[in-house]
Amino acid sequence: MSFLNTLAWWQWVLLSAVPVAIVLLYFLKLKRQPLTVPSTYLWSRTIEDLHVNSIWQRLRRNLLLFLQLLLVLLLLLALLRPGCRGTQLTGQRLIILIDNSASMSATDEQPSRLEQAKRRALALVDQMRSGDAAMIIAFADTAQTQSFTENRRMLRRQIEAIAPTSRSTDIGEALRAAAGLANPGLTRLEADQAVDESLPATLYILSDGGFPAVPDFALENLTPVFLPVGQAATGNLAIVAFATDRNPAQPDRLQAFVSVANFGSEPATVIVELRLDGQSLDLVELSVAAGGESGWHFDLPDLDAGVLQVVLERDDALALDNMAYAVINRPRRARVLVVTAGNEALRMALNTPQVQQVAEVTCVEPPILTDAMHLRQAAAGAFDLIVYDRCQPAELPVANTLFLGSLPPGGAWQAGPVGDVRAIIDMDRVHPLTQLVDMTHVKIAEGRPLQPPAGSTVLCDSVLGPALAIAPRDGLEDAVLGFPLVVAENGETVPNTTWHLRPSFPVFLYNAVRYLGGSHSALVTASAAPGSSVTLRFPAQIESVTVRDPHGAVKPLQRTGQSPFTYADTHVLGVYEVDAGAPQTVVQRFAVNLFDPRESNLQLRSSLEIGHETVPAQPALQPARRELWRWFVLAALIVLLLEWYIYNRRVYL
Amino acid sequence: MPDSRNQPELLSPELLARLERLELVTRKIFRGRLKGERRSRRQGQSVEFADFRNYVPGDDLRFMDWNLYARLDKLFLKLFREEEDLHFFVLLDASTSMDFGDPTKLHYAKQLAAALGFIGLVRADRVQLETLGGSRRARAPVLRGRRSLRQMLECLADMQPGANVPLAESLRHFALRNSGKGILVLLTDLLDKRGYEQALRVLLAQRMDVYVIHILSPEELEPDLKGDLRLVDCEDGEVTDITVSRPLLDRYQKTLAAFVAGARDFCTRRGMVYMLVSTAVPVEDVVTRYLRQRGLVR
Repeated sequence: MSFLNTLAWWQWVLLSAVPVAIVLLYFLKLKRQPLTVPSTYLWSRTIEDLHVNSIWQRLRRNLLLFLQLLLVLLLLLALLRPGCRGTQLTGQRLIILIDNSASMSATDEQPSRLEQAKRRALALVDQMRSGDAAMIIAFADTAQTQSFTENRRMLRRQIEAIAPTSRSTDIGEALRAAAGLANPGLTRLEADQAVDESLPATLYILSDGGFPAVPDFALENLTPVFLPVGQAATGNLAIVAFATDRNPAQPDRLQAFVSVANFGSEPATVIVELRLDGQSLDLVELSVAAGGESGWHFDLPDLDAGVLQVVLERDDALALDNMAYAVINRPRRARVLVVTAGNEALRMALNTPQVQQVAEVTCVEPPILTDAMHLRQAAAGAFDLIVYDRCQPAELPVANTLFLGSLPPGGAWQAGPVGDVRAIIDMDRVHPLTQLVDMTHVKIAEGRPLQPPAGSTVLCDSVLGPALAIAPRDGLEDAVLGFPLVVAENGETVPNTTWHLRPSFPVFLYNAVRYLGGSHSALVTASAAPGSSVTLRFPAQIESVTVRDPHGAVKPLQRTGQSPFTYADTHVLGVYEVDAGAPQTVVQRFAVNLFDPRESNLQLRSSLEIGHETVPAQPALQPARRELWRWFVLAALIVLLLEWYIYNRRVYL
Repeated sequence: MPDSRNQPELLSPELLARLERLELVTRKIFRGRLKGERRSRRQGQSVEFADFRNYVPGDDLRFMDWNLYARLDKLFLKLFREEEDLHFFVLLDASTSMDFGDPTKLHYAKQLAAALGFIGLVRADRVQLETLGGSRRARAPVLRGRRSLRQMLECLADMQPGANVPLAESLRHFALRNSGKGILVLLTDLLDKRGYEQALRVLLAQRMDVYVIHILSPEELEPDLKGDLRLVDCEDGEVTDITVSRPLLDRYQKTLAAFVAGARDFCTRRGMVYMLVSTAVPVEDVVTRYLRQRGLVR
């Protein structure tokens, strides 16, 4: 504690005379005024019992003197302007951003980074002066914004209510929310006319900095202060990938792939355990270099369904990424309907054992397109995929479709005039439909350049234009091939292309059956990121499903229209079970895993990149003098009240 | 200390007129020394017929009703109401403590004594006024008859405060001198540090009809004091230091209430009539209303 002199010497001399005067007055006060009374009989009986406690009475009388002296002493101390080293909040408006993403659950700070951040935010609120207003924003990949308030109790409650999440970090939304106050928008009618008065604010970011830079953001009136939370060099081993797929060498078997990253500065060795439905299946010891990654393949027995779990046998700062899940769902053969007037190449390609393993293919003639029974089935979603070979239904069915040499009805799809396609010049090798499909030497006679609707993806370009495209439709997808495989010439069917002679043709059809038929997603479900929404496809007759999260909470989902179910409450890491009701209990599972190297990297960032500014980390707030004289004045006031009370309540001689 | 010479006169003409109609009442049967104007509860010789009773040998033949004997051939004796006088004592406490208040308690006591004495004189009772512990000269002679009013008032006017004799001692002296029966009115503030109990007990033996009129001034009933005070007792000079505060005044009120309640209880248990009077209450109210209620006058 330090003091500042606020008075001149002669003022001190005058003030120091006050206690002396009080003592003198006290002695003067003791000179009692004599008063003759008829009899002291009643008076002495009144104070009879007080004589017994006369020493205490004297003390009590002196208590008043002591209290008065204490009062003066406190006021004198207050005049000395006592203060202590504290931290200074800058700005009258504070916006406190608290990161509650997955990395903030790290325990390098006790009890966790988030708790430490909340503690520091509470300390900030405690230091607010009267009249300061603050806003609390908790952010992970989305921001939870509270309104500005001067009510510290409410601010404390809001801070206490912030709970950790398993989500990744994106500060952009939080910054935009904060900027809404400091940088109010401009009206559109009159340029450069601010809608509201801009209010400068100080932005306190309590985070470990584990989020991408925000390049396109202007801070303007916001003054950012980055208060890093966590230990500077915290190592962490994390599972950054875990996936299952069919073994290419043995298609009837599955294999699991796990990738472990080391975010520490020391090389590490870790035991990775693979479990199936909770039972240990395999163990492997992995050595991971500092800052590097290491992977391993587990060969799995033939599995119908189950939950695979991989666990790092290590106790490090972040437990969330030491465990990952993968789900193998019971495979279901896709129901594929082929409407063709006769196409031997197509029939043969769909009769391969590989296709038969994943799909149940039915070939029918085009006249069925007007059959009432077929129309009802198509509208009820009885098929997963319908292939239209050179024909077109009156209405699109409730199923994924593949049009070969024809266009879907409705006019959304257009095509140019028939021309000489000759060869394919570019292919999308990433899309599941065209993976491993090589059309380099394929020759094509005639075709039409496609004009797919907005939002579609062109998978294959020919000399004429797009030759293969895929477009979404109410949760379904339509793929269209711009050239027919065969054409009718003089009553005979002749090939239009040499594609069916190439291995890429059955591969393409296999891809189409797996992808559009849905058996790909049925076999191995991809992992979802926490907080993302998961699309659940079910036959159209199923109107509602229930989803049970890893904590056991059950949420029912209702289908709206023809769209698939969408589940968004993926906050918890683990395996979610989807139940479509009787007769099957659990019909589908999906896993939510962190798999975010940015969150798993617990190294504390030394600065943040916001817009064009670099915000350096400030280990602590700027030291400032905290004035304590108010407390002394308050204490003096309390002493004064106490003195007044004792004076009024006293009973003594 | 107020000057007693500036005190108002003892009896106003209006009060005298009202007192004319009153008379002293005793609850006990006393034998008066002289015939008075008082109708006693005793039956005896007077002109007012009361009752008949059978003759028994030895009865005074002068009271035989001969007319009845002639008619009924039986002897009956005529009984008459006795008319007698009453011995009425008024004892005034003339200690220094009585010389307080405005009017002083002593003056108030004198007014009360004068009023009651006047009633007695008018009804031809024997009235005797005395100050407690006073000298032989301070004692008024036994007064009787309306004409003694002037003498009684002079006697009262001569009574001066300052006779600080313990209550018990002076009452014992009184009891020794006056063995007769009658009505005794004690006018005092009872503020005797040795206590009043012993003093009042002396009067019990006398079979007197005792009225204790406890006179206190408003300053004693509701003290209006402030600050740090040194209270000096006017009688013995005893000093008591107090610092006046609300709680202290509350305690005083409790003590006073206990003191008054104790005195009332003491008197009531022993057949005495106790009455607390504040000097703020007009004397005529006390006589014509309160003492009437208590049965001393009617």
